Amino acid sequence: MKTIYKKLLFLFLTLPFSVLAQNTLSGVVLDSKSNQPLPGVNVVVQGANSSTSTDFDGKFKLGGLKSGDKVVFSFIGYNSETITFSGQNTVSISLTESANQLQEVVVQVGYGTVKKKDATGSTTVLAAKDFNKGANVTTENLLNGRIAGVSVNTSGAPGSGSEIRIRGGASLNASNDPLIVIDGLPIANTTIAGSTSFLASLNPNTVESITVLKDASATAIYGSRASNGVILITTKKGGKKLSVDYNFQYGSGKLVKTVDVFGADQFRQVITDKFPSLVPTLGNSNTNWQEEIYRRTDFVDNSLSIKGNLFNAIPARLTIGNTYQEGLRLTNDFNRSTVSLALAPSMFKDHLKIKVNANYSNEKNRFAPGVEGSALSFDPTQPVYDASSQFGGFFEYRNTAVTTTTVDALTPNVARNPVAELLQTNDRGINNRIFGNFEVDYKLHFLPELRFVVNLGFDQAKGERSKTVPRNSAVAFSNNNIIYGTNEFAEETFTNKLLDAYFNYNKAFGKLNLDLTAGYSYQKFEKDRFDTGNVNNPQLGANFPETTIDPDIVLLGYFGRANFTYNSKYLLTLAFRRDGSSRFAENNRWGNFPAASFAWKINEDLFKENKSISDLKLRVGWGVTGQQDTGDERYGYLERYVQGDGVSQYFIGGTAYSVGIPTARTAIKWEETTTYNIGFDYGFFKNRITGSLDAFYKLSEDLLFNAPTADGSNFTNTSFQNIGSFSTRGLELNLNAAVVENEGTGFNWNINFNATTFQRKIEEVDPFTRIERGGIDGGTGANVLVLQSGFTPDSFYVYKQLYDSAGNPIEGGYADLNGDGIINTDDRYIYNNTDPDLLLGFASNINYKNFDFSFNMRASFGNRNFNNVNSNRAVFARMQPSGTLAAANVPVSVLDTNFENTTNTLTSDLYVENASFLRMDNITLGYTFPKWLEGKASLRLFTGVQNAFVITDYSGLDPEITGGIDRTIYPRQRSILFRVNVKF
Amino acid sequence: MKKIKLNLFMFLSLLVFTQSCTNDLNVVPEDDDDFLSEDFFAQPNAYKRAIAGVYGNLSLTGTTGPGSSLLQGIDAGTSQYSRCVWYMQELATDEAIWSYEGSGDPGVREIQRNIWSGDNPIFLGMYSRAMVQVALSNEFIRQTTPEKLSSRGVTNATEIAEIGFYRAEAKALKCLAYYHLLDLFGKATLVTENDPINFRGQQIEGTALFNYIETELLAILPSLKAAKTNESGRLDKAFAWAILSKLYLNAEVYTGTPKYTECMTMCSNIIGAGYQLEPNYLDNFKADNDTSTELIFAIQSDGIKTQNYGATTVMCNGQVGSIEGNGQALYGVNGWGGALRLRKQFVQKFDGASFDFDSRKTIISAGRPIDIANVAIQAQGYILGKWSNRTSTGLAGQNSTFVDTDFPLFRLADFYLMYAEAQMRKDGATNGNSTANANSTSLGYINLLRERANDGNFGNVTTGQVTLNFLIDERARELHWEGHRRQDLIRFGKFTGGNYVWAWKGNATNGVSIPANFKVYPFHPNTILANPNLIQNPGY
Repeated sequence: MKTIYKKLLFLFLTLPFSVLAQNTLSGVVLDSKSNQPLPGVNVVVQGANSSTSTDFDGKFKLGGLKSGDKVVFSFIGYNSETITFSGQNTVSISLTESANQLQEVVVQVGYGTVKKKDATGSTTVLAAKDFNKGANVTTENLLNGRIAGVSVNTSGAPGSGSEIRIRGGASLNASNDPLIVIDGLPIANTTIAGSTSFLASLNPNTVESITVLKDASATAIYGSRASNGVILITTKKGGKKLSVDYNFQYGSGKLVKTVDVFGADQFRQVITDKFPSLVPTLGNSNTNWQEEIYRRTDFVDNSLSIKGNLFNAIPARLTIGNTYQEGLRLTNDFNRSTVSLALAPSMFKDHLKIKVNANYSNEKNRFAPGVEGSALSFDPTQPVYDASSQFGGFFEYRNTAVTTTTVDALTPNVARNPVAELLQTNDRGINNRIFGNFEVDYKLHFLPELRFVVNLGFDQAKGERSKTVPRNSAVAFSNNNIIYGTNEFAEETFTNKLLDAYFNYNKAFGKLNLDLTAGYSYQKFEKDRFDTGNVNNPQLGANFPETTIDPDIVLLGYFGRANFTYNSKYLLTLAFRRDGSSRFAENNRWGNFPAASFAWKINEDLFKENKSISDLKLRVGWGVTGQQDTGDERYGYLERYVQGDGVSQYFIGGTAYSVGIPTARTAIKWEETTTYNIGFDYGFFKNRITGSLDAFYKLSEDLLFNAPTADGSNFTNTSFQNIGSFSTRGLELNLNAAVVENEGTGFNWNINFNATTFQRKIEEVDPFTRIERGGIDGGTGANVLVLQSGFTPDSFYVYKQLYDSAGNPIEGGYADLNGDGIINTDDRYIYNNTDPDLLLGFASNINYKNFDFSFNMRASFGNRNFNNVNSNRAVFARMQPSGTLAAANVPVSVLDTNFENTTNTLTSDLYVENASFLRMDNITLGYTFPKWLEGKASLRLFTGVQNAFVITDYSGLDPEITGGIDRTIYPRQRSILFRVNVKF
Repeated sequence: MKKIKLNLFMFLSLLVFTQSCTNDLNVVPEDDDDFLSEDFFAQPNAYKRAIAGVYGNLSLTGTTGPGSSLLQGIDAGTSQYSRCVWYMQELATDEAIWSYEGSGDPGVREIQRNIWSGDNPIFLGMYSRAMVQVALSNEFIRQTTPEKLSSRGVTNATEIAEIGFYRAEAKALKCLAYYHLLDLFGKATLVTENDPINFRGQQIEGTALFNYIETELLAILPSLKAAKTNESGRLDKAFAWAILSKLYLNAEVYTGTPKYTECMTMCSNIIGAGYQLEPNYLDNFKADNDTSTELIFAIQSDGIKTQNYGATTVMCNGQVGSIEGNGQALYGVNGWGGALRLRKQFVQKFDGASFDFDSRKTIISAGRPIDIANVAIQAQGYILGKWSNRTSTGLAGQNSTFVDTDFPLFRLADFYLMYAEAQMRKDGATNGNSTANANSTSLGYINLLRERANDGNFGNVTTGQVTLNFLIDERARELHWEGHRRQDLIRFGKFTGGNYVWAWKGNATNGVSIPANFKVYPFHPNTILANPNLIQNPGY
């Protein structure tokens, strides 16, 4: 410290002497906008050999000049300036930044930012103007389909969470969710009671930009949590001028498609033909149950954002929003109110900068039970309502043979009216959440190159959920033919606290610029829950009301990063993080995560004169990242006992004792992923075409695997172990093009195209030959997915269907693949997998004068789904599920197969279907009145269609599902949108 | 300089701060159901709850209700101890068939059609569940050494003495698990209380495993409470005798060396211990069967406090007819839509007028064909009415899904028949011949059961009628669906091969021969991969 200080002093002292020489030009180069000095600017005498570059303070000195010499000042991202030397001693040059989007973009890299042009890792930034348009209730949908290598899959339920995958994820058994950081606060992927999703609390209207860090050289600064990529969300900040932005959006949605089951008439016919004993159970109605359980929906979104400068000193932004979205299922809705405040005061001539981001959200949800299954199978000849029914006037199968004192008994083991289930279930949640951060950034007065940053983050969600089902409901809790009703309440609190402290040192030494960051991070997650259980249940376990406190999760990290930039052309980044996690025992607790990346701005060296190549940067990166998220496995290394709950007791001497059971013990450590990435950032034709191309290879080792353990010594047969490895290799292409750029006619057309292909492969899962997973409906514990060495994770593991000469599948006819003359589980084989071969995203934006027209679509090729709806339901036997008590409906595809029984149809390869698709996510058409109210305001109106269409050969309801197994899903609605945006 | 000092101070305080945060990585349980071991054992009744945990593994699958499990890779309910035993001892035989076959309930189809391979979740569940029993027993023994007790300040002599009994009981439960593994798989891996967590035990097979169980049981017998003197829910000497008599009766199968005399001794120990046949046969299988005077040990089930998808819940619900819908009315359960039915060959054991008044014949046949042409059609084949979740006085059990009915693991009637069989075999009767050599004691025992079944002596048998072939059928009539059938058929040479075939044996409608290696089940591949010391059984 002391020596550096001395050296710096020496440097300052010697500076003035250098300007005294003759024929010497000295001066300073400044940014024309900010008037800040520009270091590293090339100062060259045209036609001569002498050159220099500016120092950290933007100063330069050039000797040996003759009068008339032309001196050129050039700097990447700026327009060059030329002056003629005429004996002047000093000069002040202002360079203006070239109008070049690519180079203006700032990339969040975690604990700091870099300009996109200086980024060495694989990163993609999406700014507000690039976000998906349309009804985006949760933030992750802003980027769906827009970034190569990033996939987002959101369910049809309003406000629901998404499965987000970056480069396919890096884990087999541990979490595959990327780390999501909002304004420097890493948030946990924990959805608590009363809420629909952990990202549902953030109003997408407050988001300014989203940066996605994909390769390990970029993510390693987040060490232990970075293997699945990092998504950095930055919220909008205040401005200098007062501005108001108001958005109103209305949408109306409806059901797109239903599973094709028998209509009432056809159903009656099939039952008469095949199950005559069931004819007496049929009714006289004609009900389409799938249409009865759904409705037309409303969506209303209001958002008001005010930006300004409080007391002329504190840039501030306040956003107030409300989003109301109805789900397709009757009664299901999502109602979110948010208030978000951002303050960014700076003091002492910008030496002290403070950033405060505070977000409050209140979610009110009404949840609806998943009745799709019973709607599919409910007898279409039965009515929805039945005046004689004591069950709220809804039709239910009743057993008049058994009567209890109050109501008719229900027939056991038959389906219940799905409409009644929806309307009679009152399941409501409230979730209040406060999250945000407080950041102090202090630039030392005596050493302005050095900054200290302390960031305190806080995130607390308190949710509650209550569920009541009245005593006149067939789905309420009952026992021994007495309906007690359901009345449950749960409360949950989740807290996430963060402390980051780091310093940053940034200084140029001649052509070398040095940017050093080092710091410390502490984060703690706490969760507790309170449950009443069903208080109407007279046999409720004695443990209720029950409070459950999850073990805390504490993560500690020490991190450092060094950026070396030489001559603004060669960039080297070294990063290191050392992390500790409370999930691991002391001897395995700490992991080290290094990374290095190098970038070379090739065009500066090789294509400087080339008119068509405006930018070309090569990036090469390597890094090691970790994974510690083992879900509920929080401290398996401790010697612990748990006790049985109210229904898990053992009687000794007539007294029930809660059993004391030792917990399974583990000895696990970090899972490590090594990533290699090579990529180009390019810009052609004055950056009218820009983009990037990346190739990557990831190898995850010591996988945190929930795998079999030797029986008899542990208190389970499966526990987390570090086993095996798997690799992912892939290519990503991002391309932005200004197809038409015509200022004269006012016609502009921009497109964004991205393509991703990746291949995941299990290198080894030794000692296990294969691990089955992927349970399906219709069979307790039946699996159709497998993890096996040499294959893609989650390959389908199914029987090979045999076909007759006419090409029809033979029921129960499977190939005897091992040739032992017996068809049994050994005859299953690996047939395709769930991964897509190719993912494409395409967005188009056309502006003509004040009109704008845009759409985005996504396509996926080669992904396969197991159609469990058909495998489980499309058999005739399913029409007689409960003896002679009731008939049930099945998909009409049963007529294609003529399969009678579920026996062995469940896991046939017949149901592994190609689920390639092309989806038009949204189409919008807008018109802007730029000078509304005499130029005081601008008004934009737009209309659009969300989820416009899907093109697919897949026979199920929707090809886009998660996990590869298509059970019944909450369908996605198609909506028509109107939006008004006022700015003044 | 001052600034540097200040910075140094800040740096040092930061160091102290980060150090204290490092300690935060040592998290501890905060939930009231989750304890560090030492904290758990500091509580009142801790040892009783810990031994309840060792017993509880026979009934419960996990600690948070019937859907929770200590095991993975198999459905929680399907991995319940008595259910796995029941599936493997009953579904592979002529006594029962399960309607939801194939992928519906994976593993069942292969078992009941005798076409299994190792890749069967039920084998995984059985082996793991029994070995967890071993692990829990060993852990209890480790936690209750005199050193541990004194270090925790347990000084009360009465309590220490009682914990001593618990320890012996834990060992007996370990022997039960090894006995089941010996019978079902022919071998296991040996893990003792001295082995560390995640230890890979060595394989112990056949005679060695037999000797290990025998030695252990004989060694702990003096430490167990006298028969019928322990608290309900706990085992006593009769439990050890019961396992020993089972071992000795099947010794020829397990080791090649018969031990019929030893079997008779052990059966006599039980018979002389004061157990009484319950006057009404069916009262042994009802919701209040815990009060039966005949039960030596039963696996608990309670509709409220010991909820599990064990054998009795499966049988009470499974036997409800798909056509009859007789669940609520007869058995106090909602039923599972005709999951279980009878195979023809079992039904025929009750053929003839002599069984018209036999209370053990609970077969329901009205409107049903006896043959099961298609396993998936619940209306084919007769059904059974042996089990019930109603009490002996007809009251419905507490819960219409989870029954109050306990699973009789060992009951007196079994040992009457075992005594008779051991005596006959000791005196020269062999499988397949028609020797009728039951002595008067044996005959008396057999007729005690007949008289109870018929409520009179008109159904009694005479010495001339009692051959080994009679005995195996009588065992079926008395003990069907109680988890004995496969073991009995093997001992009588009727399980594998073609001596005796039944519907769907070997995957043929009318039954065909199956290979001899099917006398033991194979291990699931994961079981072997997790512990390569275990060698797969021959032929698999």
